[in-house]
Order: sequence, then C-alpha cells, then structure tokens
Amino acid sequence: MSPTPRCRAAALADLVRDLGDRVRPGGIPDEPPARLPTGLEGLDRLLGGGFPRGRLSEIAGRPSSGRTALALAVLATATRGGETVAVVDAADAFEPGSAATAGVELTRVLWVRPPGVREALRSAERLLEARGLALVLLDLDQPLRASSCLRLSRRAAASGTALLRLASARGAETGVALAVEMHDARPRFDVAPEWLEGIETRLVLARQRVGPRGAGAALSLRSDVA
Amino acid sequence: MLVPDLPLAAELRAQPELGARPLVIVSEVGPRASVLSVSREARRAGVHPGHALSHARAACAALVVRTASPSRERAARDALRDVALSASPRVEAALSLAGAHRSEAAVWLDAGGIARVFGSEAGLATALNARATALGLPSVATVASSRFLARVAARRLAADAESGAVQVIEPGEEADFLAPLPVDLLDPDDALAATFTRFGIRRLEQLLALPPRSLVTRLGPPAQHLVARLRGTEREPVLPAPRAQRLVEGADLEAALDRLETLGFVLRGLLSRLLARLAVRHLACGELDLGLGLEGGGCEMRRVGLAAPTLDARVLLRRLVLALEASPPPAAVESVELTCQGRPLRSDQLDLFRPAGPAPDELDALVAELAALCGPERVGAPFVPDSLRPDAFALVPFSPTRHDVTQDRPEGLRLAMRALRPPLPAQVRTRGERPHWLRSAVANGMVVRCAGPWRVEGAWWSPEERFVFDHFDVQTDDGLLVRLRRDRLRSTWHVDAVYD
Repeated sequence: MSPTPRCRAAALADLVRDLGDRVRPGGIPDEPPARLPTGLEGLDRLLGGGFPRGRLSEIAGRPSSGRTALALAVLATATRGGETVAVVDAADAFEPGSAATAGVELTRVLWVRPPGVREALRSAERLLEARGLALVLLDLDQPLRASSCLRLSRRAAASGTALLRLASARGAETGVALAVEMHDARPRFDVAPEWLEGIETRLVLARQRVGPRGAGAALSLRSDVA
Repeated sequence: MLVPDLPLAAELRAQPELGARPLVIVSEVGPRASVLSVSREARRAGVHPGHALSHARAACAALVVRTASPSRERAARDALRDVALSASPRVEAALSLAGAHRSEAAVWLDAGGIARVFGSEAGLATALNARATALGLPSVATVASSRFLARVAARRLAADAESGAVQVIEPGEEADFLAPLPVDLLDPDDALAATFTRFGIRRLEQLLALPPRSLVTRLGPPAQHLVARLRGTEREPVLPAPRAQRLVEGADLEAALDRLETLGFVLRGLLSRLLARLAVRHLACGELDLGLGLEGGGCEMRRVGLAAPTLDARVLLRRLVLALEASPPPAAVESVELTCQGRPLRSDQLDLFRPAGPAPDELDALVAELAALCGPERVGAPFVPDSLRPDAFALVPFSPTRHDVTQDRPEGLRLAMRALRPPLPAQVRTRGERPHWLRSAVANGMVVRCAGPWRVEGAWWSPEERFVFDHFDVQTDDGLLVRLRRDRLRSTWHVDAVYD
C-alpha cells in the first residue's frame, strides 16, 4: 500500500529536518551555466559573461540592425579560443569573407546549408547531440514552434553546447534562456567622399531567466574599410 | 591453438543464439547433402558427421541445418590467427588438412620468450583461449617443444576436454606423454607403416625404446624424420607471414536480401565480429570496404573513408547505411563482405588550456550524416576563394585545426554582410550614374544615402565568365542597408547582400 500524501509530506519534513543544510530544494540548479563571451567587454558585462552554454538564446532584429555582426563576434571569440562551432545556415546568408573580416577562424566552423526548415532543425538537433561543439548558430527566420524550441533546448542542455538563434523577430519563449533584440539601427555615411562608415545600433536585453530585463547597450558597427 | 570443428565454430560465431540448439552443418543445399559438423545437442540426439541429411532429420526432428559457408570459415580461421598475433608476431597458420582432420583449424605460435609476459606458459595458453572465446571461437591451446607434440596434445585435449582447456608438456616429459599413443599418430608412409606392423610396433613407447641410430640405419631416411618428430628434435621454426592489417569478414546469405533495413542487421553482425578482431590486435578500423554479391552474378563495392581510426560500431554502421542509402544496390544481395584496414588507434595529446573539441571519429560520422541529410555539397568548412567575384564562396572538407591563431582579432564590432543567394534582381531608377529609387524583393523605396560606385572587374580572359560590376552601398527609406550591383556588361541590377 502506497503512503498517503499527508504521510509522505510528514516523512519528507522529518528527513529535511534531520539532514539540515545537506539538502536543498530541487528544480533550478544553483550553479549558473558557463558563458560564451562576445569579446566585447561592456556587452559581456550586460549579458552576465556572454551567451549561456547549454542553453537556447536568441538574437532578434530586423535586417540591417546588426544582429549578424553580433553573432559573428561570438563566433570569432569561440573559434579564436580554439573551440569548434557550427553554423546552420537555413537562410543561406553566411558570408565567409565577412566572417573572416570579423575575426572568425573559418577552419573551425562547420557550415551547414540545409535546403529547408525541416533539414535545418534536424541538422541543429544532430549537431547538438554531438559533444565538443561550443556553439551552434541557427540562422532561421521562420518562427519556431514551442515544441521545437523545447526539443532543441533540451539537447543543448544535454551536450553543453550553446544554441544561438538568429531571426528577425523573437519566437516562442519556451526554452529560451536569453534573448536580445537589436533596435534603432542608424547607418553612418561619411560625406567626402561618400562611403559607408558603419551602423549605430542598440541592444536590448529582452529576456533572461535570472537577472533584470530591459537593460540596453549602444553598439557601434564599423565597416571593414574603416 | 586448435579449433577442432571449424565449420560449426564459424556458424556459431556468426549466430551464437544457435548454441543451445541441435545444429548440423551440411555440405550443400538439397536432399543429397551430407552432415559435415554436428553440435553437442545434435550428437546427443544421434546425429553424427557423415550422415545423410534425411537420416539426420529422421534422428532429430528439431534439427537446425546450416550450409557450410566458406567465407565464414575463412573469417574464423583469420580470427584464430588474429588471436595468436595479439600475443606474438611469430605466428604461422597451419595448412588445411584432408581426411579425418579436415574440419580443424590450427595456428602455431612461437611461445619462446613471451610466456613471462603472461606469468607462465599455462598463463599464455589460458590468455589465448580467453581471447579466442571473446571472438566466439572454442579453442584449446597446448605448449610443447615441437609442432608435432603440440598438435597431438591439442587433438587429445579437444577430444577429452571442454573448449578453453590448456596443456603444457614440459621439456623432458615428451616421452611420458607419447608412450601410450598409437604409432599411427606419426603419420608414416605406407611402406613404413607395414614395417612397423611387421615388427609388431603398435605404440610409440615401443618405438621410443629402440636406439634411434639403429632405427634410422635399418629403415632409411623416412625413419629419420619420424625419429626427430618423436623425440621433439625436429627443426620447424615458425615462419611469420607479413602481418596483414586488412581484415575480412563475410557472409553468404541463405536468401537474397532486397531491403536495406534487413541488410543492416547482417552488417551489424559482421561489424561486431570485425571490431572484436581489431580490438584483439589493438587496432582500429581506418577504412572500410563493403562488397556486395548481387543476385544474377554482379557485384558492387562501396568504400567508406574515415577521418580517424575508430572502434565505434555505431559510427561505422551509420556510415555504411548512409553509403547504401546514397546509392542502393541495383539487385538483391546474396553475399556481403566487409574488409577493413586496421590502423593503430591514434593517440591524441590533449591540451590543458584549450578545449578538446569533438572526437575525430564522432565528427566524421556527424559530417557524413549532415551530408546525407542536406547534400554533400552543402556541408563543410567555409572558404574564401581567390576571386574578385562578389558572390564567390566555397566549402572545403571540415577538419578543424588545433593551431593557435596568430592574427590579431579586429577591435570592436565589424559590419557584417548577409549574402543573398542567388542575388535578387532589382528595378533601379538612376539619377546620373547613381541609383535614385529601388524596387526588389528585399528593399524598396527611395534611396536615402548612397555610396559608390566601386568597380570590380575580372575574368577578362574568358568572354563567358568576364564580369564588370559597379557596387553601391545603398540605404533605402525603409531603413535597409544593401549592397547593390550593376552589371555593366548586361545592364542589369541586383541586390547581392544586406549589411547587418
């Protein structure tokens, strides 16, 4: 015969009293996840060290908002630190020359160009199952269903790989540990002669599980000619 | 080392689940088949080698019948040699015999000097038997001063004891061991055998009692060889063959298979046996060839290259299945043969301060799976080709390096580009030479700011490939910043990237 809920609660209370400090409530682990820095001091401070490993994070922003530049900065920091990363390029927009200019070590990047959304999600899942990758960058503009987010975030948690989704708009919040949005992008042109200097943009911390939301930072993106 | 009944051992090695059932191996398919080998359960039921199959079935209704498979026997024979090679390089496989001992497989191993590694000669023999058992081979092992003695002892041991038994005949004990045995064991020719009969010599002890010199004087050169064999003084050094690193496992299927899922089960069994052999020899699979014998007489080959030697059956099976899925065999499969190139496992010095990254064999399987999912031309490491074309890019095989990056990282954030593949056609109105209004699938509206043009020209030596582009960095009034290109040769406009 199984114990009644009241008996079970009393037994648990006795156990907690006996064990004292040696037990703690389950659920959220005490130890915060390791971080994958962006290499930009102020931004890393804002993000609590960078994007969390073993979690799903999002960078959202409309085109020309600087979201790709931020993702490339994370890739550059990881690959220069000797880590191996993967890019699931469902948008087929990854530009190797631009990545190299941003400091990404291309030999440590596994570039996957899936022909469709289904293949992109399957590729991301398979990459997250492999151990030893520091980051999987999922460049997929289509909104993800909550079940897909949950599946991806669970796989990321199991492997310890950071999963970073790049999109125009934030998707379902299920399983997303950290989300940043890029706002107020303003291109900067020089006048004589006229050439593109860069973009001034603003990053807003839209979601994080632990810590304040809504904090922001101004970012300045420079053209590689500058 | 001796495996007394190779056809039976080879079958049970491939199908260990038949071990508890009455099993016979027959010479051919059909009613005229005769029984070659018999399992213990079948023997208990009254079935013996040489019986006709119909007779055997009458004696035991639950009889399991399998046809002798030369490829499995060859693999089992090679596996026995692998066991011996795991202990010493001085190994020689015994020739196949005819007659009463045709079903046995034996391998000679020069035990001189290596017994100390295993504690004693009995320890060596026990270790070899254990390794053979791990490969599914029931063997006995004997240690003696000559091949003849060792083989005679092994045959007696196999007849009297269970598999795994060992016997060591110490120097000086040879005569005591041989004394009660029949003289026919020396395998004399007919004339000599007749002479022994005439002399009344039936047991070896009688022969041992005769003075050797007188025996040779009376019976001639053939007797000299027999005497040397009898006294353990014959000189038959083990002649080591070149150490083959190529291991083969095969299976002749009783029914042709036309489904890949079913073939996967066969491959799983072959792989597990192949990997067990590699593990015994402290090797790993460096390259895998899959040979398929097809219905109608054809054959197909598939090669699976591996980035790093591996012993992971899951990885190898996945690679084989992917290779078969990529190009399925054109007909049903009648026989399968797996050949692998054994290579030493690569030792990798990990760094204390740098991340290890994915294991090479896992990475190899991962890339292969992604290539099967997305297409081989869609997976790899990005590469910037030496070209002026703005849309030039390449993928090279992914093989992450461990070297340190010496080039400095640019400070701050760099403006990135998102490529549009293929470039999007655009309608452009110009004012002078510069774009004034733009319509495309990605950016529309009046041009707010524009920088350029920057001319790029290349491939002038080829009329088909020659290009002359004028590039403009354009901000439209919907807030987008794009790279616009004008093809000077074709007078067309395209948006080929978005700044981001």
